[in-house]
Amino acid sequence: MSVLVAKGIRKTYGSLEVLKGVDLSVGAGETFAIIGPNGAGKTTLFKVLTGEVSAQGGSVSFDGKDVTRLPAFVRARMGFGRTFQVARVFGELSIFTNVVLAIEARKVNGGESCGRWWDWRPSADTSDEARSLLESVGLGRQGDEEAGLLSHGDKKRLEFAVTLAGKPRILMLDEPTAGMSAADRKSTTNLLRDLKAKGITIIMTEHDMDVIFDLADRLMVLNYGAVVSQGDPVTVREDEMVKQVYLGKGVGHA
Amino acid sequence: MNGSSFMRPAVILLFVAALAAAPFAVNQGLLFLIGIAMLQAMFALSWNLMFRYAGLASFGHAMFYGIGGYAVAAIIFHGFPLPFLLAILLSTAIGAVVAFVVALIVLQRAAGIQLAVLTLALSQLVLLFVSYTDFLGRDDGLSGLARPVLDFGFFTLDLRSPTAFYYFIMVAFALVTAGLLWFVSGRFGRVLLAVRIDSERAAFLGVDVRRKRIFVFTLAGAIASFAGALAAPWAQIISTDSMSWFNSAQPMLATLLGGAGSYWGPVIGAFGLILVNYFTRTFVGLSEFMVGGILLFVVLLAPSGIAGFFEMLRRMRNRTRTASAREHNQ
Amino acid sequence: MTAQIAFAAANGIVLGMAVFLVAAGLTLVFGILKVFNFAHGSFFMIGAYIAHAITGQDPSSLPYFLFAAFVAALAVGAMGIATDTLVLRRLSSVANDYTLIATFAILLLCDGATKMVFGQDIYAVYPPAVLDQTMDVGILLTYYSVFIVACGIIVFVLLELGLNRLWFGKLVQTVARDPWMAGVIGLRVQRLKLVSVGVSFALAGLAGGLLVANQSLSLSLGHSYLLLAFNSVIVGGLGSIRGAFVAALIFGLFESFNSLLLPSMPGTVSYMVLIAVILLKPEGLFPERT
Repeated sequence: MSVLVAKGIRKTYGSLEVLKGVDLSVGAGETFAIIGPNGAGKTTLFKVLTGEVSAQGGSVSFDGKDVTRLPAFVRARMGFGRTFQVARVFGELSIFTNVVLAIEARKVNGGESCGRWWDWRPSADTSDEARSLLESVGLGRQGDEEAGLLSHGDKKRLEFAVTLAGKPRILMLDEPTAGMSAADRKSTTNLLRDLKAKGITIIMTEHDMDVIFDLADRLMVLNYGAVVSQGDPVTVREDEMVKQVYLGKGVGHA
Repeated sequence: MNGSSFMRPAVILLFVAALAAAPFAVNQGLLFLIGIAMLQAMFALSWNLMFRYAGLASFGHAMFYGIGGYAVAAIIFHGFPLPFLLAILLSTAIGAVVAFVVALIVLQRAAGIQLAVLTLALSQLVLLFVSYTDFLGRDDGLSGLARPVLDFGFFTLDLRSPTAFYYFIMVAFALVTAGLLWFVSGRFGRVLLAVRIDSERAAFLGVDVRRKRIFVFTLAGAIASFAGALAAPWAQIISTDSMSWFNSAQPMLATLLGGAGSYWGPVIGAFGLILVNYFTRTFVGLSEFMVGGILLFVVLLAPSGIAGFFEMLRRMRNRTRTASAREHNQ
Repeated sequence: MTAQIAFAAANGIVLGMAVFLVAAGLTLVFGILKVFNFAHGSFFMIGAYIAHAITGQDPSSLPYFLFAAFVAALAVGAMGIATDTLVLRRLSSVANDYTLIATFAILLLCDGATKMVFGQDIYAVYPPAVLDQTMDVGILLTYYSVFIVACGIIVFVLLELGLNRLWFGKLVQTVARDPWMAGVIGLRVQRLKLVSVGVSFALAGLAGGLLVANQSLSLSLGHSYLLLAFNSVIVGGLGSIRGAFVAALIFGLFESFNSLLLPSMPGTVSYMVLIAVILLKPEGLFPERT
């Protein structure tokens, strides 16, 4: 069953047509990767799917419900979780507070209680959940530090924890391993594999082909705002068109 | 936990004690100014609520201070048979409603400079309308406002006595300050900080950013109106000056001076401003010159204000303390 | 009635040109520095005070009047350069709100200094004798108001030509759009910026010197023009000379017809126009291409 379906997405900036009618359909529990050269429209497509920008044409539906006109925060409440290419965390707040925020937002939106109304501190179970989430991304011991002072890789981990705190049903990851060291990349891949095993649907853009072939069930190749090829990694890799426009010589023989 | 965590409550306690002792220690003129300082501090706290917790820099916040003041003043001046406390409450509510409507309009599109000019323009427009309204005394405002006597049945509180009114203001100030502190320290404050730091990111946590901003704007408007509603009978006069853009600048000055990054910054700044005005009152122009100069100095050299300066000192001291502790252990 | 309308229109145009003279510098400063200068009205006022200090109450001749305005422009231009180097440049990396507040601090500083230097008295300056006459073209117009309109148009044409046609204007635009690239291709970014900032602030001083006559010169002078100039710059589109010109005319006419048609509420209509424009077209009538 398809969780996220997009049909005929068109987006123009001025006279520049960035997306020329893109269709996609992602099944429940599937890991779906969008790849393509720089400027192919990956990030724009991503933003249309998450609700950050509105498209001029086409529709997006989630769980059979039309979400085309719904703003990002409503989609987030429906179960969209998103990370950014350059990790965005709340820099002035502590690492711990970053995660607490996300947990509390989820609880409020889900109609759950956040503890006693007069108590300004996070409730005990919120704190416990935050700690265990931080533990799971390897930031367990640094909770009091200011998030803005973290290294790039650690910010990405924190952003993961923040996103997972929302218990998303679909994870939208924009370049999850961009700018990471090889070791960090490995641990992120492992983390994603665990999530995948738990049945979370994942949509990602990614440059690192190893990560993609490791994780993705299906691939879509974008070029100049149009779909060049779609299918499972092996098929896509064999596609002559794809070799030509994207994989090129550098990766084709890998 | 270290020794300095006792510092803040101690300073606050000292501050409260000093405020409480003021009627016995200073003359009427200074007592009046300290009362004004408390009202300005509330006003500034409400402005910083928007600035620090929603990222909205309003340049027309005096509109609400003035609305609260005019509402109470009109009730007193025209002799409406409304108990004083209810009049205050009504004025606050009017301010809240206007702020809500303004927020609905203003937060639709505007941000940054547009927001600054839009809020400024709206406040000027309200000021003009007030200055053309006979009911509100046109350009001259309403003066000779009688201070009320509160009748609670079993006892009466005579606010005609400056000392009694002073304590009335002090209690209001304490309640607002404590209430706001509780509010921003809690779940709501955390979400608001997130909205200010990165509203787009906050939206992806499922936070309705616009709604939060409208709420904060409304709350800030209500508190400003409340402060204004107390200021009118305290000063026994209200004029369009109360909603002028110069008055809109006061909470900004106080906040920046005291430190926008700290909850207590606006309070420190408001008292500091009153002090500057008090000591420069005999020389025309000197107070603006001083305030402008100090503000410029703060923005250029210590953008985190007086509170930030103390925070920096505290951190430095803690650092040397942990460093020396480490040396001990070795 | 037609005479009244013609009179209101003429008044509106004069007011519009006066507002444009103030707004021109403001929008230029924004175009170059991306700073919305709250202190602009104060610089304008300082220019007026300086001109008054030179000419006294009765300027002896038109050249002397112009000379005073020119000196005011030079002095304010120098103050602008000082402001840029000492304050604005240091804040270029800080959040926008702080720069806005810093210019507000400068406003206070200027107002306080003006009060301390010139006192709180209200001065009057009369136009030089040549301009202090009226002519009858169906309605009565003072020569001075015609002079103001002429000044407005001259400043507008010079700025339009200077910015769009001449090499200097093109350089300035390059620097404003992309300082880094301008530096790479070998432009002396800082010096160019300094000169153009000086010119922009000088315009405020010039406006003060030219508009000083027929006003009661007091501290509130700066503020009344300032708000209208603000509105013109926002409505015209930040950084756009053409926009400021058109918007200033619109505001002048609205103000003028406001007092004719809605005499009980002067000044209200232009704020409503401003609010409507910000809500409907927040980037202004002539948005700058970025």
